[in-house]
Amino acid sequence: MEAAKMASPKSAPKDAQVMAQILKDMGITEYEPRVINQMLEFAYRYVTTILEDAKIYSSHAKKSSVDADDVRLAIQCRTDQSFTSPPPRDFLLDIARQKNQTPLPLIKPYSGPRLPPDRYCLTAPNYRLKSLQKKVSSTAGRITVPRLSVGAVSSRPSTPTLGTPSAQTVSVSAKVGAPVSLAGQRFTVQIPSSQPTGKSATPTTPTVQNVLINPSLIGPKNILITTNMVPPGAADPNPLKRKHEDDDDYDAL
Amino acid sequence: IGGNVAAVATSSPGVAAVAALPPGKGEARGHCGVGPSSRREPREVGSPFSSPSSKTTHSGDVIGGAVVVEDQPDVSAVLSAYNQQGDPTLYEEYYSGLKHFIECSLDCHRAELSQLFYPLFVHMYLELVYNQHESEAKSFFERFHGDQECYYQDDLRVLSSLTKKEHMKGNETMLDFRTSKFVLRISRDSYQLLKRHLQEKQNNQIWNIVQEHLYIDIFDGMPRSKQQIDAMVGSLAGEAKREANKAKVFFGLLKEPEFDVPLDDEDEEGENEEGKPKKKKPKKDNVGSKSKKQDPNAPPQNRIPLPELKDSDKLDKVMNMKEAARRVRLGPECLPSICFYTFLNAYQGLTAVDITDDSSMIVGGFADSTVRVWSVTPKKLRSVKTAADLSLIDKESDDVLERIMDEKTASELKILYGHSGPVYGTSFSPDRNYLLSCSEDGTVRLWSLQTFTCLVGYKGHNYPVWDTQFSPYGYYFVSGGHDRVARLWATDHYQPLRIFAGHLADVTCTRFHPNSNYIATGSADRTIRLWDVLNGNCVRIFTGHKGPIHSLAFSPNGRFLATGATDGRVLLWDIGHGLMVGELKGHTDTIYALRFSRDGEILASGSMDNTVRLWDAVKAFEDLETDDFTTATGHINLPENSQDLLLGTYMTKSTPVVHLHFTRRNLLLAAGAYSSQ
Repeated sequence: MEAAKMASPKSAPKDAQVMAQILKDMGITEYEPRVINQMLEFAYRYVTTILEDAKIYSSHAKKSSVDADDVRLAIQCRTDQSFTSPPPRDFLLDIARQKNQTPLPLIKPYSGPRLPPDRYCLTAPNYRLKSLQKKVSSTAGRITVPRLSVGAVSSRPSTPTLGTPSAQTVSVSAKVGAPVSLAGQRFTVQIPSSQPTGKSATPTTPTVQNVLINPSLIGPKNILITTNMVPPGAADPNPLKRKHEDDDDYDAL
Repeated sequence: IGGNVAAVATSSPGVAAVAALPPGKGEARGHCGVGPSSRREPREVGSPFSSPSSKTTHSGDVIGGAVVVEDQPDVSAVLSAYNQQGDPTLYEEYYSGLKHFIECSLDCHRAELSQLFYPLFVHMYLELVYNQHESEAKSFFERFHGDQECYYQDDLRVLSSLTKKEHMKGNETMLDFRTSKFVLRISRDSYQLLKRHLQEKQNNQIWNIVQEHLYIDIFDGMPRSKQQIDAMVGSLAGEAKREANKAKVFFGLLKEPEFDVPLDDEDEEGENEEGKPKKKKPKKDNVGSKSKKQDPNAPPQNRIPLPELKDSDKLDKVMNMKEAARRVRLGPECLPSICFYTFLNAYQGLTAVDITDDSSMIVGGFADSTVRVWSVTPKKLRSVKTAADLSLIDKESDDVLERIMDEKTASELKILYGHSGPVYGTSFSPDRNYLLSCSEDGTVRLWSLQTFTCLVGYKGHNYPVWDTQFSPYGYYFVSGGHDRVARLWATDHYQPLRIFAGHLADVTCTRFHPNSNYIATGSADRTIRLWDVLNGNCVRIFTGHKGPIHSLAFSPNGRFLATGATDGRVLLWDIGHGLMVGELKGHTDTIYALRFSRDGEILASGSMDNTVRLWDAVKAFEDLETDDFTTATGHINLPENSQDLLLGTYMTKSTPVVHLHFTRRNLLLAAGAYSSQ
């Protein structure tokens, strides 16, 4: 093939000519020119895969060279793997017979959107919120961690409308200006887990048990974090009092 | 295998088979050439050594008697070879001998007997290939493939590529062809002639092959002409047996429920079409309140469970009736206007289109796996607000249904991502709440048109799904794909409810009957089958197309079916009788879209040859003479009236027509993607 400037069919490589002839024999007359390249790539990849497999099989059988049986075996294994074909007719007729024997299920009226059980739907959220600590740090002065009462305050710190607590929190954050290394300090967070006084109006308190608090959040006050049952004895009158004041504010939350 | 073949080959043909058989072949009952073994089970693969011993006993036995061919599992297990009827080198002799005989026979018989050529040719060729006589197979093919009918050329090309036994293994269609019996319809006289000739000693091979692979459906009467035969043949399995089309089909429509029609100022008085509820009558019962009696051809209302009619559905029906009142009456003098929606710059490759019943939305499925929904009316597409916003609205207000819609993201186009392969079929639900799309990735996805998100992915086909459609009443949908089955699903079941298996090749087109009790499937094996939803049985098989079927349309009255295929012909079928009643020639390329007008007067067809053609459906279906002969034999003389029926041809500017839709007022909408070449 002399050096031709244009990639005319005459000067195409022999493989490409063969592929074009195959396409013509199979009755495919219209195709993009890229198809020939794709088919050649596929042919090359397929043949090399088969021959490599055949080499492995023949060496497994301790033969000196690859022969037709190895190639046949390689083709068979690859076909079962990559080029699966639809199930045979008898199998389809069989499962069809089984499936068609069950009567059609009755339809319950007025049952809303008729969808399969949730695990078969794609309607579940495909994300999960990260832990809420990050949110706390981002809001200065407003610890949005619910159901958390900080130390001596022992009331909902997230209510800025509260007089003292907010003052507390404000003071807490105000003092953060100084570089605070709180690593060694201990913090107490009273989490009145059980309210024997039946103060059920406080929806917040008993729920959160084991809360890890990032020490950098709390100001330099010594606040002890206790995560188990804190006898609400000493702190009780205080929180109780606060609760009364807090009652009105819960609705706003 | 080798041993047995040698034994057969050496002894004289015809007698060999007898000698090689084990004596205790008790299971082989009288084996008649007309064996109605309709069981296409795979034990025939192992291929029963068709009991030649019984041949000697059945000279003069009953033809057409109900003799059942039992397959002989023991024998086939032992032999497990394709039946070797004789010396492979003599195959060409046998075939040319038969050819000579048929060509010398009387004219009236010749057309019918020529039907034998193709199946015999294919089976003999496959036998040679299967038994690894490659050179004989090749020369056999070379010599005789040109004699076959032109409409078999595509199959022959595929066949020419099958030169080795290994090639046959992966090709499901060819395996099915080998194991199922090719059906031929021959008149009694012609059959007698053939049988007499083939039973002479030297032609016994062909007779064996005929008995084993062909099913000859004999009918009494005049032999058919070549034209009649050509109209009906073409499918991969020959024609359909007559009893395949004898089951009763309820092709009538379900009764519309009665309900109050709210009175409007603009309602015309006196407009009271048949079957529609009367106005001003508050009665709600629909038993006996209409003048129309129960249609004997209509299925009972509760034959299959259907979803109840919700308030929104009732409003929709009222709208439908109002629109119907303003509908244009179409006919040869009053042709519909055609509005063509061209998808410009659809470089993604438009592969599927659907339009809602009230023509408000259009959806396109593309080869880049996206599904795009457009609003065709000035009203934009709105999705429901997010949960956070929803909690803020006043739930008690009157227009709460408007308030839940998000105006900020309203747009004319919504793109739905989710599939991982080209989207080959789309379908709106009748209540416009859901959208279905099926794709090459093997799944059918249900999308909500209120949130424009994907709700469910139905996995069942593991191979490309070519078509899907919602039932006219919603809730059910059907899908058909490369695995040669169609499946019936309900939106609230993650597995199909019914599997319709029987086609020999891919199911390319699936449609519901207007009464939702039957499903029509068109396939690449060139047949159309009608399936019963209740029990999954195939109640009709229609053959006649010469190429894979790509479009189906039921007439609005439910009695007729129109089908279009790659051969460019539209065929019309009477479902009740199971007959072909019309053939519309004119298109020159694949017909991808077929639709009847709202009252069934006009049939519109759209094709790859960039045209839309309108045909007179009323005239095509009138004067259907179904005398006894026709119903008994299934043959009808098709008049050459395509030209009379063609009402108009409308050319587009190099835009193949992919979808057709008649609006409620009988305006014809068409859709396609502009292709610049």
